[in-house]
Formats: sequence, structure tokens, C-alpha cells
Amino acid sequence: MIRLKEVSLRLGNAGRSSSVLFHLPSFEVEAGEAVALTGPSGCGKSTLLNLIAGLRRADQGQVEVAGSDLEKLNSAQLDRHRGMHCGMVFQTFHLLAPFTALENVVIGLRFGARTRSKLKEKATEVLDRVGLGDRIHARPHRLSVGERQRVAIARALVGDASILLADEPTGSLDPETGQEVFHLLREVAEEDRRTLILVTHDPALATKMPRHFDCSGLVRSASTAARKENSPR
Amino acid sequence: MAWRYLRFRWLVSLLTISGVAVGVALVCAVLALRHESERALSRDAGLYDLVAGGKGSPLQLVLSSVYHIDSPTGNLPYADFERFQRDPRILWSAPVGLGDNYAGYRIVGTETQFFDLPDRQGKPFFQFAQGRRFEERFEVVLGSQVAQSTRLEIGDTFFGTHGLVEVPGAEVHRDFPYRVCGILAPTGTAQDRAIFGTLASVWEIHETEDRLHSAIQGSALLEGRQERETTAILIRLKTPGLRLWMADEIRKGTDGIATVPINEILRFQRGIIGPAQKALLAVASAVVGVACLTVLITLHQAAERRRRDIAILRSLGANRREVAVLVFTEGLLLTGAGILLGLLLGHGGLALGAGTFREATGLLLYPWRMPTLELAALGAIGICGAIASLFPAISCYRRTPIDDLHLTE
Repeated sequence: MIRLKEVSLRLGNAGRSSSVLFHLPSFEVEAGEAVALTGPSGCGKSTLLNLIAGLRRADQGQVEVAGSDLEKLNSAQLDRHRGMHCGMVFQTFHLLAPFTALENVVIGLRFGARTRSKLKEKATEVLDRVGLGDRIHARPHRLSVGERQRVAIARALVGDASILLADEPTGSLDPETGQEVFHLLREVAEEDRRTLILVTHDPALATKMPRHFDCSGLVRSASTAARKENSPR
Repeated sequence: MAWRYLRFRWLVSLLTISGVAVGVALVCAVLALRHESERALSRDAGLYDLVAGGKGSPLQLVLSSVYHIDSPTGNLPYADFERFQRDPRILWSAPVGLGDNYAGYRIVGTETQFFDLPDRQGKPFFQFAQGRRFEERFEVVLGSQVAQSTRLEIGDTFFGTHGLVEVPGAEVHRDFPYRVCGILAPTGTAQDRAIFGTLASVWEIHETEDRLHSAIQGSALLEGRQERETTAILIRLKTPGLRLWMADEIRKGTDGIATVPINEILRFQRGIIGPAQKALLAVASAVVGVACLTVLITLHQAAERRRRDIAILRSLGANRREVAVLVFTEGLLLTGAGILLGLLLGHGGLALGAGTFREATGLLLYPWRMPTLELAALGAIGICGAIASLFPAISCYRRTPIDDLHLTE
């Protein structure tokens, strides 16, 4: 269960005219649900995702993820919470170049797993599941972009995180590969009953998700927000 | 993970490790060389409580009679040696007569009791690897290095050359063949570079040569004109505490000087060798300082380049402490590898140069020994490396992952 209520935070340099205000009145996702976050660039989709992952903290409001109020957790607890409950997939894959596909997945397990035994066996199993059983020893630069994203998905899955957070996972892929990756994400989330929150620009992809949440209007410039607050109602 | 990152940036890692290694190697070599040379010099000088010789520089007297380098200061009457032998305060004494060399190795004329010299534990200092002491004139005992270098064996004969060093065209005493009767076991002292024969042989060669020269020049040589002399007298006292008092007594009672070799050598080390070694050590320390700075810069640059990777690790659940430990471990690995490689280079270099050093000075180096000061220096270098690694680690600890996740590879 994910619940955000009256969440606001200032983005950019506080006090500067360039800073913007993110305000989200309410957002709820049930366990096992699949939601697409849509909206134009800069509307706050990724910010919402990062708030759920605990990569950003709200200035105000309540962020509750997998039974924990994230605002009450300290930095280390937040990291631990993220490692245990959130599997993240990024647009540019974010694989670690010195390590093989298998090692990249093992690293995901090392920091996020509930147990640290049989790391390699488990990572191999997950890579096999995403169709990379024969590429486990390849380093990222030897993999195609589609394969890289599959490794990133395997890394997100391996720790048994109950929430998958995908930030434009198909954004760097050609349409065909993008479709494959999208279906893979949907498939594994459904099979494992994991919550999937997917940020996308692609309206076609968004319509394939059971629910989509339009983030337009979540972000305003700080000065506009201030004028609105001060104006007579 | 730290090791894999170092391997991934292998060229930068190798250069950083090399920088640390060169500094460490220099520090190790200078400190080990200082320690070993001090020990070796003291071992030689510590064999004798006093050295008596003709008037001149006490250091020169010690260098010529104990280390077999430099020219002698002058001579003392042989009667002085006979007087010392009768002195109840003297445990052991031996004359040293110089004048000739073979293949650059000095032929030292002495008495057979020279080989009775006890070490400081009271055991015989000289051991024979082969053969025996000289008994007759023109029999000689070779120091171990002489035997090794000249390949002379027991029973072999050779001619001495006039002078203390090998000079092309120098007069060879062809009428007086020496015969090898013994070879000493290595002592690790300058004695390994000397050839020991009877003092009587040295006298005979030079008296005959003098007679010959006088006859050629038409001048008369008065029989028995020359008083028998010795270049120096080496002395061990029953009570070493009497050294300075005895030295003073010898100075007053003879026409020469007497000195305490260990004091001369310590003065020499502190006055001449010491400052040079300090200068070398300062250079080595500067190199280490630069190397530590290199570790700092390398890690800082690596951490900057890896801001994205660190952010990824944080997004995977790694906490601040874990990423800081990762960067710190990389620094420690770089420093540790540099120290190990430097140790190997420094001591390996000494091991390679030990032979040449021994050849030149007669001093035996133990290149793999590590003096306490060197261990302390290595500890200090390790601490410097750790401090240098701490800065980028702290920088990684402080970063917020969200700031760096947008960075591209």
C-alpha cells in the first residue's frame, strides 16, 4: 500500500525565483496494483516516484510506503527501507560498468535482500527469468540496450521488493524493444503480485496500464504558488 | 567491489600505486641502508677497543687499519707492539703491516694470534672455511670475498703488487710468491676483503726491494739501519671501559696516536654520512607526500566520476556508510598495494645492490631486514594514505543520491 497525502516540497534552490513547488493533495496505490504516471516533462512524475522510493523527502505531508511513514525514518532506515521494498528501473538503465550482468544483479541483492545467502544462484535465476540466462557474464557495454534494461529489471526484481518503480523504462529503447521491456515488467509484476508504478511519456503505453495518474499541475513556480496562497478566496 | 573498481580503472590505479611505491621504496632503501651500514660499520669498529698508529688523522687510521680503505697515517715501532703484548690490561693485540695488494685486495702483514680475536661474546671471531693459519713466511690466509673473487684455492700461489690499490704498471714482487694456506669463512666485515700474511714477509719484501734499489742507485744501505715497524696495532682490552684512558696513555707513551674506532666511526657517520642520508630521507619523504596527495586526487577524481554509480548504489539500498566504506577501502587498497610494492622494490633493490656494495666497502648488508624506524615510517605512510582516502569517502558520505542519478555514464 502506498499513500501520499498533502505532500509538498520545494524543488531547486529555496528562496530563489527559479525554485518550484511540488504539491500533491492525495495519491494512493493498493498492493499489487499497476499505475502509470503520465504528464508533460517537468510536471513532477519522477519527483513523485522519488518520494515513494525515499530518494526525496517531503517538506510537508505524509508519505506512507509498505507500512512505514517515510518522514519518520532516518537516512539509514530510509536506505534500508528502499533496498527492501522498492526495486527501481531507470530510463538509462544505471548499470555499473565494471561488473557483469550477474554481478550487477548480485549487487542489487547485496544491499536490498532480506537474506544474503545464495546470492549468485538467486541472481542467475532472475536473469534466466528475464531471458538473459546465456548473457550473465557479459559486462554492460557488451549488451544491447534492450538486454541492459532487462538486467536492470532483474536487479529490481531480485530482492523480492514488493514495489517496482520504473522511471521511463522504455525511454531509451526503440519501439519494438520498448514494447518487450514493458510487457516483461507488467508480466513479472502481475505474476509476483508486485505493485508497479511506471512513469511514461508514451500515451500508448499508459493506456495499456490498468490505471494511470496524470501528474499535470503538481508543480508550480514558487512565486505563482505564493500569489495563489495570498490571494483573497 | 572496491577491488573491481580499481581493476576497472587499472591504468590510473597502477600509476597511483606506482607513485606510492616509488616513495615507499626510497624511504625503505634509505632507512634500511642507513641501519645496515651503521650496523655493519659498528660491527667492524666494535671488534677492537683501540687502534694505535703513526701520527695523523684518527679517522684515517681507523679506515686504513680496520676497514682496509684509505692510506695509513704512518708507522709505529714494532717494539710498541711487543710492549702491548706484555701489558696485563690488554686481552688481545695484533700488528698490521701494509704495503702491497693483490688484485686490489690489501695484503695485511700480521701475527698468527690475529686469528685468536674473540668476538664480544668471547667466541673466536674468525672461522676457517678451508685450510689453516699461516705458519711460515709467504703463507697467506684469504678473506672470504678475496677467495670468491680471485678464485684462488689452497696451495695456489700469487705475487703481490706494490701499493695499497691496484694501479696499472705497478711493481710486482715476482721474487716473493705467496702461497694460499687458508680461507676464512665470511664475517660480514671488511676482513673478508683482506689477505693476511706474516708481518715478517712484508718486512722481507720491502727490505730486499730497498736494498736492490740502493744497489742500483749506488747508495749504501746500512745493515740493520731500519728499525722494524708496524703500520698499526689493533687492541682488545680486558676492560673496555679503560679505552679512553689507555688511548691517552698510548698517545703519551709512544710517538703515534691511539683512537677508539667505534667513536671515530660514529663521528664519521653523524658528521658526513648522516646529513647525506637525512637529505635523501627528506627527498624520499617528499616523494611519499606527493604519492599520498596522488592517492587523494585519484580517489577524489574517481569519486567525482563515480557520483552516478554511488547514487545507483544508494538507490539500490546502500546507505551512506556503506558507500563511504567502499571509497575508503579503495584508498586503503591503493595505499596498501603501493606500500607492498614499494617494500619489494626498496628491499629488492638493496638485495640486488648488496653484492656491489660489499665489493666496494666490504660491508655485508642484510637487505631484507626491516629496522624499527622503517616499520614506523611505513605505519606513518599507511596513516597518510588512510587520511588521504578519508576525504573522498566523507564527500561520498555527504552526497544526496538524487542529485547524481540524472548523470549519464
